[in-house]
Amino acid sequence: MNLENFASSRALSLGVELELQLVSTHDYDLVSSAEDLLRVMARKDVPGEVKPEMTCSMIEVSTGICNDYAKVAEELESLRGALTEAARKLNIGICGGGTHAFQDWSERRIFDKPRFHYLSDLYGYLAKQFTVFGQHVHIGCPGPDAALYLLHGMSRYIPHLVALSASSPYVQGKDTGFQSARLNSVFAFPLSGRAPFVETWQEFEAYFRKMSDTGVVQSMKDFYWDIRPKPEYGTIEVRVMDTPLTVGRAAAIAAYIQAIARYLMIERPIRLSEDDYLVYTFNRFQACRFGFAGTYVHPETHEHCTIAEEIEASFARIEQHAIELGCDGPLGELLRQVREGRNDAAWLRERHTAGASLPELVMDQCARWMGGDAM
Amino acid sequence: MDLLIWPDWPLAPGALFPVAVALVLTALVGEAGGRFGVPRVSGYALAGLVLGPLVLGWFDTNDLAGHRLIIDFTIALVLFELGIRLDLRWLAANRWVVAASAGEMALTFALTYGALWAVGTGAGIALAVAAIAVGTSPVILMHVSNELRAAGQTTDRLLALCALNVAVSVILLKLLVGALHGVHSGWQLALLHPLYLLLGSALAGAVIAAAYLGLRKLVDPATEQGLVAMVALLLAAIALLSALRLPTALAPLFAGALIKWRDRRPHLWPKQFGSLGGILVIVAFMLAGAAVTAGELFAGAAIGLLAIAARALGKLGGAMAFGPPSGLDLRKSIALGVGLMPLSMLALLQAEDVRLLYPEFGARLLPIVIAMTVVLGLLGPIATRRALIRVRETRGGETS
Repeated sequence: MNLENFASSRALSLGVELELQLVSTHDYDLVSSAEDLLRVMARKDVPGEVKPEMTCSMIEVSTGICNDYAKVAEELESLRGALTEAARKLNIGICGGGTHAFQDWSERRIFDKPRFHYLSDLYGYLAKQFTVFGQHVHIGCPGPDAALYLLHGMSRYIPHLVALSASSPYVQGKDTGFQSARLNSVFAFPLSGRAPFVETWQEFEAYFRKMSDTGVVQSMKDFYWDIRPKPEYGTIEVRVMDTPLTVGRAAAIAAYIQAIARYLMIERPIRLSEDDYLVYTFNRFQACRFGFAGTYVHPETHEHCTIAEEIEASFARIEQHAIELGCDGPLGELLRQVREGRNDAAWLRERHTAGASLPELVMDQCARWMGGDAM
Repeated sequence: MDLLIWPDWPLAPGALFPVAVALVLTALVGEAGGRFGVPRVSGYALAGLVLGPLVLGWFDTNDLAGHRLIIDFTIALVLFELGIRLDLRWLAANRWVVAASAGEMALTFALTYGALWAVGTGAGIALAVAAIAVGTSPVILMHVSNELRAAGQTTDRLLALCALNVAVSVILLKLLVGALHGVHSGWQLALLHPLYLLLGSALAGAVIAAAYLGLRKLVDPATEQGLVAMVALLLAAIALLSALRLPTALAPLFAGALIKWRDRRPHLWPKQFGSLGGILVIVAFMLAGAAVTAGELFAGAAIGLLAIAARALGKLGGAMAFGPPSGLDLRKSIALGVGLMPLSMLALLQAEDVRLLYPEFGARLLPIVIAMTVVLGLLGPIATRRALIRVRETRGGETS
């Protein structure tokens, strides 16, 4: 099977997808209400899309194609408003967060759709354990080779994005010690990780053809890479983020990615090399485990610093681009939080340590997401 | 020779022994049912019937009166928990749920009354049966949904509609029977008594809620001490409610709903509370069978079956008419109607209370209610269980 052609898209256009948790307002455990929520949402006029996901207690919302932060924030906000209204009607809670703090994976039910049943048959319990919630950001690319440059360049920023979005310290009722434990569930999949180091679309097509000939993959959807090209949209899709606890933070993180993309595309500041990936999994692990306090090893100089320091340095590099894109405001707020060591995982731990039980914590998460709190 | 140190022969183990055996048998029948995919409560109800005057005669109506407190307490406990699951904010946000509840109750009442009146039971009996038919068994609904770990739209609505129809059924029956017997002679009394019942129960509910929230600050309900405190609170409430001549069912229900309203936090029962509740439910069903005699059962069977049919139409019709605008699809609306079928102990006690006050009227009412609760106590749980499995709201994974 051949890979479809890389569609053209407006460079630096943005699209955001959020996977969200549906919980019962009685015990705040996950609840299989996706069908009901989708039915109510089908009658509403909202931007973007609301779709089912692997299990019946999650949904995915996505914006349309946006130009900038303001548009993303506006669309996410109106999706949030409509979803909140529908959820109130159905007596369910909707919240962000990369994992549900105490759900029992064996109780999950696969959403009734052929692809989900296929995946469930293929992956067995992994499919149900995959009840984790991520934010995906699409960035429009002028062409396929540019997309691959952007993909490999963006790979250096994976730790940054993980630390900024981390919101999954609790899994199955226990503190994992990680800031983003969600990614550990993703790594269990055989085709997870990073894209192969190829710099031209021709080479990428050859790789895909070889993989496809082995019978291991049928389409790009079978790759669970941290960043993957999405030829039919003409975008690359960054998939490492946990779903943040508020849509405000989700929009700010999307803006950060857009500013990095603009910096990479216009300045072409790095020479790509396969060796960039030597430190990739180490850096990513550090971000998942320790967040801002993790160690970042520079792929070229091999210098060590904290992820917080590296994020701060990155803000300096992209500042001009952020101003051009009109997202310097939200990025300033993000930077302030990095300096204070604050992210969603820290917020969750703080609440739980202060005595909130895990069900109460999920209740607070719902209040933050549905109430439209600031990041 | 001191004969007191040696056992008598034949052994005289006292009253406790048959109770223990009966309890084990009830539990085993429930467990056997569970193995065959029948809800355990159906098994308990069956065991109660077998142990009662209908078959073995180990218990009779005197036992029921003597152990009334256990059943009252069980129902109060379940209604308290049910009240906590009734989120008033939800009812305010989705008026169609309230409409579904009102529709289901009105239709049930009208159809049951109409059917009984048409076959000539007399208006009084028809009204009383219709009022009892409005309610759904909270004990069965909570037990079946806990057993399946059910959660979802149908489950939420089942429990909400049950909470509301129990409250209305209790009030309705008190009013109707009072009115029928001229208790409310004069409009002042006719107005004052219902007001007293409602406001009194609401006030008592508020007091229980305040006490619960206060206690929760002092002791963690998940501990042994917390459990004792909660049980004591409900026992005290029942004692006071009885002294005030208020129905023991309403105030705990109101209290639960008020607690959820005042404090949105999840109010989850500790594990021990669940097992305590489980034992109480078994005991209560074992005792409830004592009310059923063959004579009464057969006397009430024909009209009872008619009432069951009318009630089923009413509940199903109401749920199907108002389910879809409230956010359900048709399949779940039907499941909601079917799930509301169970009728059990509370209905039996309602009728029993009427008989205590008005023996002659009660003697005509009781056989019909007995027939209804026997059928719906055995088959109702099965209907609820099937309905919840059919709409895939069980949390046990791939049960369906």
